Amino acid sequence: MDLKEKLVILADSAKYDASCSSSGSKRKGDSIGNTAYSGICHSFASDGRCISLLKILLTNCCIYDCKYCLNRRSNNIKRAIFTPEEICTITINFYKRNYIEGLFLSSGIIKNPDYTMNLIIETVYLLRNKYHFGGYIHAKAIPGANKNLLNKLGNLVDRLSANVELPTEKGLKLLAPNKSSDKVTEIMSYVNNNRSTKFVPAGQSTQMIIGATDETDLDIMNKSENMYNRYKLKRVFYSAYIPVNKDKLLPSINTPPLIRENRLYQADWLLRYYNFKVDDILDKNNPNFNLLLDPKCDWALRHLDEFPKEINKCSYFDLLKIPGIGVTCAKRIISSRKYFSIDFKDLKKIGVVLKRAKYFITCNGKYFISNSNFKKDFIEYNLLLEDNNSNNSSGKQMSLF
Amino acid sequence: MIYLYKENFIDLLNLINYLLKNKVKPENIKNEIYMKTLLEETYYPVIAEDKNLSERIINKIGIESFLIVYYVFLSNADNKELLIYKYLLSSLKYKNKIRFMRNIDCVNECLKISKYVKTEAHKFKGFVRFSELDNGVLYSQIEPENNIMLLLCNHFKRRLKNECWVIKDNRRNLVGIYDKKECYILDSDIDIKKFDSEDYYEDMWKEFYKTIGIKERKNDRCRMNFMPKKYWKYIVEVSDNEKSSV
Ligand code: SF4
Repeated sequence: MDLKEKLVILADSAKYDASCSSSGSKRKGDSIGNTAYSGICHSFASDGRCISLLKILLTNCCIYDCKYCLNRRSNNIKRAIFTPEEICTITINFYKRNYIEGLFLSSGIIKNPDYTMNLIIETVYLLRNKYHFGGYIHAKAIPGANKNLLNKLGNLVDRLSANVELPTEKGLKLLAPNKSSDKVTEIMSYVNNNRSTKFVPAGQSTQMIIGATDETDLDIMNKSENMYNRYKLKRVFYSAYIPVNKDKLLPSINTPPLIRENRLYQADWLLRYYNFKVDDILDKNNPNFNLLLDPKCDWALRHLDEFPKEINKCSYFDLLKIPGIGVTCAKRIISSRKYFSIDFKDLKKIGVVLKRAKYFITCNGKYFISNSNFKKDFIEYNLLLEDNNSNNSSGKQMSLF
Repeated sequence: MIYLYKENFIDLLNLINYLLKNKVKPENIKNEIYMKTLLEETYYPVIAEDKNLSERIINKIGIESFLIVYYVFLSNADNKELLIYKYLLSSLKYKNKIRFMRNIDCVNECLKISKYVKTEAHKFKGFVRFSELDNGVLYSQIEPENNIMLLLCNHFKRRLKNECWVIKDNRRNLVGIYDKKECYILDSDIDIKKFDSEDYYEDMWKEFYKTIGIKERKNDRCRMNFMPKKYWKYIVEVSDNEKSSV
């Protein structure tokens, strides 16, 4: 099998992993390559997702049989395995041509977790020490592998991840009976306890599949919040379930739940950057996100008593609660209003999305139209109208990555 | 009166300093190759170069506010010189607070333009595509809106420090050349004709690109948002079919 064919097989089986980020590392570099702290996207695939790393599996052979996975043992597909040297050659040659920031290496489980992990380590070791590659490396840790191996790998890579795959143990039992969430959390806590500028400097991430099992958004967000708090994860990725296998245990859907996935990403941002808690945005009576409105608008509408907020007075954290105002804008407002008092046309210059924000704010005591319009029905109706004007009904992917 | 300067940043700063000192309000400021119309008058004042000028401006308005001026200079904005003049004029009053004064039009405009230049430079750190010539030199062509050559060279000389590479800006006939030691930026219209040798890894990359997109999630609008068509010309993995359609 020639190298190109292998690459196609092993990229095809790796593509369902949502992560491709190359951020968070300040590696000074070696004879070839360095990293950019903010990460760099090199291309965008036909699905609109950023391509930053050479995302491949070392092999798509696997001893496990996870129901949702293309590479499961019981599927009759073409199998391939890269040698460590082959991966290095492709990485270096792609990197030199500026196609990529580095490598994202994952793998099916071959023989056993330790054996697989050793192959990954060998590859990354070669890349760092024979090819003196100083670019970004994200590797998958194989659940169940020996701690020493985890330690070795962590010292070579920028980012490590272990996927929880499904938000609950029940889901795992059903669809991935060979896996257990304990093994994944063991990896997470090990990495968290040992993290340093040398060990996994860009931190760890994980991924959950959305819509393969019947969890609510509340279950999913609780799991995320818990992992962010306990293991200081950098990112949780949400991957809309795409049916690749037929199985009676799998839901029968034709299109992946992309809008739901987008809502989860938006809510995830609220947790990480906007000081929201899961309890604020979801509860037992409202366990799923509103598919028509983004989580922040939805929250604001349910908490209208906290609004309108006065742009020239309210705190940074209050600014962040206003739909249409993000972290950058909130900071700009704080630094600007020290020197002049802000009105609606200044907000536009600052970059606030006025078509959302205007319903929730006052500037120097003034509402954008008559105060009598500050009513839930009026605002909700207009927000929905805006949303449908600016989004086509198909893929609602926002610039989140 | 339209005032002229040699097309470099220091010369522009010197000219603006001269205008401010003599309290002259220019109708416009343009570089020396500007083609004036019949009704316009141009003037190219002889100014002794003031060596410490940039340093003094930085001391007064702070490096962040000064960098904004520099990025605006790199942009292709129409009246960038006049904008810079207005910005520096306002900075006499606001000093290091100038970059927060978004309610002043010229400041807001400068902030927007400088952000755009920085964003474009960042995008090109990803979008530059090198091909390997027979002699091992890495060669790439770009056509950015703004003059981001220096920013790109600074990036690639750290990243590809043991390679020889050339970046050619076809819009400006500028080349950035790196010889494993130093980096030079030159005016040049050299044209390395696309050598016919096939690049094995380029083919491989194209295959990878085709494979990595998930067809159930196809989203052209999103792709175009992040990677606008105006940048496609040298992005090898976008197929010729796609380039000619849409
Ligand atoms: S362990 Fe499960 S998810 Fe991973 S490759 Fe094997 S079958 Fe697929």
